[in-house]
Parts: sequence; C-alpha cells; structure tokens
Amino acid sequence: MIKHQVYISPNEVKVDGKALAHNEKGSALLTELYRNNIGDYPKFFKMDTLSKLGFIASELLLNIEGNRSFEPREDRAVILFNRNASLQADTHYQSTIQDPEHFFPSPAAFVYTLPNIVTGEIAIRNKYFGETSFIVIDDYDEQIIMKNLDIAFQDPVTTSIIGGWVDCSDEEHFEARIFLMEK
Amino acid sequence: MDELIYTLKQQIIEALNLEDMKPEDIDENASLFGEGLGLDSIDALELIVMMEKNYGIKLQDPAKGKEIFKSVAVMADFIAKNRTK
Amino acid sequence: MTNPILITGCGVVSAIGNNKAETLDALLNNRSGVGPLVHLKTEHKEFPVGEVKMSDDEMRKRLNISDNNITTRTALMGMIALDEALKEAKITPEMIPNIGFISGTTVGGMDMSEQYYLDYVNNENHKEYIAVHDCGSCSEMTAEHFGKFAFITTLSTACSSAANAIILGANMIRCGEADIVVVGGSECITKFHLNGFNSLMILDTQWCRPFDATRAGLNLGEGAAYLVLETEESAKRRGVKAQAILSGYGNACDAFHQTASSPDGEGAFRAMKEALELADIQPDKIDYINAHGTGTPNNDASESTAVKRLFGENVPPMSSTKQFTGHTTSASGSIEAVFCILALQNGFVPVNLNWSQPMEDGIVPVHQSVKKELKHVLCNAFGFGGNDSSLLISKPEL
Repeated sequence: MIKHQVYISPNEVKVDGKALAHNEKGSALLTELYRNNIGDYPKFFKMDTLSKLGFIASELLLNIEGNRSFEPREDRAVILFNRNASLQADTHYQSTIQDPEHFFPSPAAFVYTLPNIVTGEIAIRNKYFGETSFIVIDDYDEQIIMKNLDIAFQDPVTTSIIGGWVDCSDEEHFEARIFLMEK
Repeated sequence: MDELIYTLKQQIIEALNLEDMKPEDIDENASLFGEGLGLDSIDALELIVMMEKNYGIKLQDPAKGKEIFKSVAVMADFIAKNRTK
Repeated sequence: MTNPILITGCGVVSAIGNNKAETLDALLNNRSGVGPLVHLKTEHKEFPVGEVKMSDDEMRKRLNISDNNITTRTALMGMIALDEALKEAKITPEMIPNIGFISGTTVGGMDMSEQYYLDYVNNENHKEYIAVHDCGSCSEMTAEHFGKFAFITTLSTACSSAANAIILGANMIRCGEADIVVVGGSECITKFHLNGFNSLMILDTQWCRPFDATRAGLNLGEGAAYLVLETEESAKRRGVKAQAILSGYGNACDAFHQTASSPDGEGAFRAMKEALELADIQPDKIDYINAHGTGTPNNDASESTAVKRLFGENVPPMSSTKQFTGHTTSASGSIEAVFCILALQNGFVPVNLNWSQPMEDGIVPVHQSVKKELKHVLCNAFGFGGNDSSLLISKPEL
C-alpha cells in the first residue's frame, strides 16, 4: 500500500501530489532542493546526478513520513528501477580516460559507475540494512515496477519499501517517481 | 610556499567537490582525514590522481598517502620537494 | 522454505573452462586460468586476469552465428553458458515462451563501444553497435539466440548482480509468477573497469592471494553462468531431476561506504544469516562456504569477521575460487554457484589456491585438496553499494 510519493523532474517537484515551490531548474534544482530540505550532508556534492536525484527524492519522501530517527533497521528495502543505468556517471568517468595525452582515471567518478550506488547512498544515510536492488528495464512501466515491489514483500523480513523509478541520462535530464510502500 | 598552500587548498576543494568550502575555511595544519575535513579512502585516491595531474608526482603505494596527506602543510612540503611540473 | 526450488540445469564459461566438464577438471586439479592479458587490447599488461580462453570469433563459430550478425563478448559468453544450462534441463525451443530470463551484468556491450567510440564520433562506421551497448540489450541478445522468452529482466547491482538475479527468480517462483526461470549473469573484461578498479588501487600486479596475510588486491576475470530454477511439480511433470536445490538466500545492505566493506562485515553477516533462516538450517549444518574472497585487504578482513560472527568457533571449510577465475564481477554470483553445485555433486572442497600465511584475525581457508561429502553450502557475492547476497545450495535428497 502506497503511503507517500515524490515526483522530481528538471522543472517540477511534487510531494504527495502537491507542487513544491522552487526557483531553479535542472541540476541547479537538485542543489536548491538539497540546501532547502537537507543541508547537513556534504557528501551530497560528491555524488553523481543519479545518486543526487535518488538521495533527494528519498529525503523528501522520508521527511513527509516524519519521525526520522536514523535508527538501524532491516525491514525497509530500497528497490529502484531505470532505463539508463548509470549513464551520466559512466560518461563523466569516460571523459577522464578518453584522451591518451591527458589520461587520469578518476576513482571518485568510477565509484558511481553502477546504478545501485544510489540505493547504497540511501542505505548509508538512513542505516537501512535490509534488501537493496536495482533493476534496469526498457522504459517506465508502472505494472512491472509494482509487480516487482510486491514480489519483494515475499521476504517476511521486509515490511516497508522505498521503491520506484530514478532515471537520468545527463546532468540536466532526469526523472524520479518514488513511493514509500508498507506491507 | 604560502602561494602553493593557497593553490593547493583551491585544488583540493575542486578535486573533492567540497562545494561549500573556501580556501580560508581550511586550516593548513589541521588533519585532512579523520577529525579535520573528514575525508575518506576514495578522497585519498583522488588526491593521488590530483598530485600526478597537477604536479607530475606518481604515487604507487596508497599506504604512503596516509603520511603525505596528514595536513595541507605536510602535503605542500612533499609537493615542493618532489614536483616535476 | 516450504516448497523447494530445484536447480534442474546449469552452464558455465570462465577462465578455467568453456563448460562444466572442463571447469570440474580444473577445480579438481587446482589449475588456475589467471594469466597475462591476451584478448583485451589495453596498455595495462601488468595485471594478471582470468580471461575466457576463446576469442569472439571462436565463440561465434561455436554458436553458429554468422559474421554479419552484431555480437558483443558479454552476450557471446552468456549464450554459451545458457546453451549448456538449457540442454541439461532438457528445455526445448517450444518451451522457451513459457520461461523467464533474468540476467545480471554491468558492462553489457561496452567492449565494442570502447573499440568503436571514436568511429561513433567521427564517422558513420559501426553505429549499429550503439544499440547493443546497454545492459538490457545484452540480456536480450543472449536470450533471443534461443527463442522468445516469456520475459527478460536485467539486474545491475555490481558484483552481486548474478546472485540477485537468482534471488529474484526464486522469489518469482515462490509467489507463483513463474514455474521455470533461467537466472544468472555474464560479464567481459573492459578497459573501462580495468582502469576504474586500478584507480581504486585494488588490483594486484601478481596472482591474487585471498585470505593470505600478504594479499594486495584482486585480479579481474570474465565469464558467464546460468541456472534453471524450477518448481518440484514442473520438474516432475517434465521428468527432469534436480542437479541441486536452492534452499535459501539472503540480501542485505552493508550501509557503510560506496565501495568499501564495513569492518564488522554487517551486510555480509546479515545476508548469510538470512539465507540460513530462510532455509531453516542451523550454522553447524553448513559443510562449505564459497567466499566472495576477492583478495583485497578490505574484503577478506570484513568477510572473515562476518563469518566468525555467524559461526563462532566452528567456521566450516571455506575457500575463495577467485584465484582460479579472477573476479568475474557481475557474473561471479552465478559462476561460483555452479562451482558449488559441482562441489556438491562430486564431494570435494575447492582449494583456496596461492595461500601460505594466515591473516591476523582472518579465517584459515582450505588450502589443500579435500574430498568430503557436502550437503549444504553457502555461496557469497558482495557488490559495491554495500549490496551483499548469500545463496544456500543443497544436495537433493535421494
């Protein structure tokens, strides 16, 4: 059962269907949302765009849930989907090894060249020791997403899921539609 | 040396995405890891890449990084002695 | 678990063999496939790797794929392993539309993109390879060689991808979504991740030494493996027997760092514990653990701690097989699951090769050949992002 939902695109932010006011667009919007709603997590600036997007969407979701205790728990799973995997991070990392004359592979960039690092970042922030997963599908498909989230509840340990679509093709083009679901 | 220290602070801020910091905010004698700026192991590796990129210093052993990155001042001293760029 | 999940077929290709028979022979005779780079065209010749001993051309010939068709190395290895799995499970082309396919990969078709990237930018050559670069297309290319599966899904969770594909397939069977699902993963070596792992300074220029005091990093590997998961009822109906049983599994997050494991091995501990609990099996019934055991100072320390926390004084025989194959990243969970199945079927513990000095506070792995009847084994696969998975595989009861 869906308790809360968050939608973020380069132009729009909605929490439980209600628009959130903002001044910026695109990557600047993500920074604005960080400063206005979080502000105390400098690691945010090391993240790639996909992780920033997923992190902020989860923060808005958890803020609306309330009672943020940051107590370790294993009954909440984080299961996300997208089409582009870690494309933006891959492109950024590739640029550090593209030029044979100026060849400096960046470890900080390489770390993000996996789509499931965003589920890791959400788990690290909130001390979630439960199931995490990342699934790549052809396109946004609510049926497939909901079916898979239902399947995750097969695990008797999992009582709650942060799940949904977190996709980004480059720094200025992204979309997040995530839900907080309870069994 | 003062100029190198200032430049180094700018380069550290850029390399490690320390978005909200200015060079004035970094104490060159404070520890970079652990208490001080709270940098982690990936940051250490990124600093190794930065030293090669900007100063031509190649560090093969990441364990050596621990001694060199004790503080900005220690780092600047090492760079001044070993730079090839 | 009330209804057992049967593994009715499996296939594998890695640095130690192009099929199960060759693989078994290498495991029994302690023959590693790690050595200098041959196929990948890179300047970094200083890193030993576990390459599959076939060129793309050789794989295409084996699969009867003409040179006019576009293929990628990850998909080719996947097809070879999938072919063996389907044959063992006696799955015919008519059955494919009723079977699901779940595959784990991270690099997908990147081996071709690396070769042709400058062409994409500068001219019209090789543009057809752009469409097969991504992870999903790679799974599709692998699956479509055999027919039209009921569904194709791609998981991408780094080094636990194939293990998580197995878990997802098992969950789908348990909630009645499917009777038969083929699960596993495939990954080839690319310059992209060779350089990436090197930038993290976790590659060893020597042959890796998991759980050894002098270990200094991992060797990369490549390969593919698939398992056919099936309900008991479906297997009975089709008249096929179980090669092994998937008795339990667990997935937990380490929630510590993007790429390093926590000192107390929290994620690994929880994943293994969950697998035991799901299987309703006590720790003292585990006969062997196939470790994630990459040979990095960090993983082996963390995994040792997790295992000791779970098993106390009585750590079962344990070994890493990454000295045989290298770290096959996204495919490692399914490749090593097949190694576990071979161990169960043939009653032996794979040796932890290249070991001589015990680590401080580490487990002491099995470093000499051991013949032992095995009933239940654990297979660990831990991915970046703290994504830790563990599979509990058992011998079928007679």
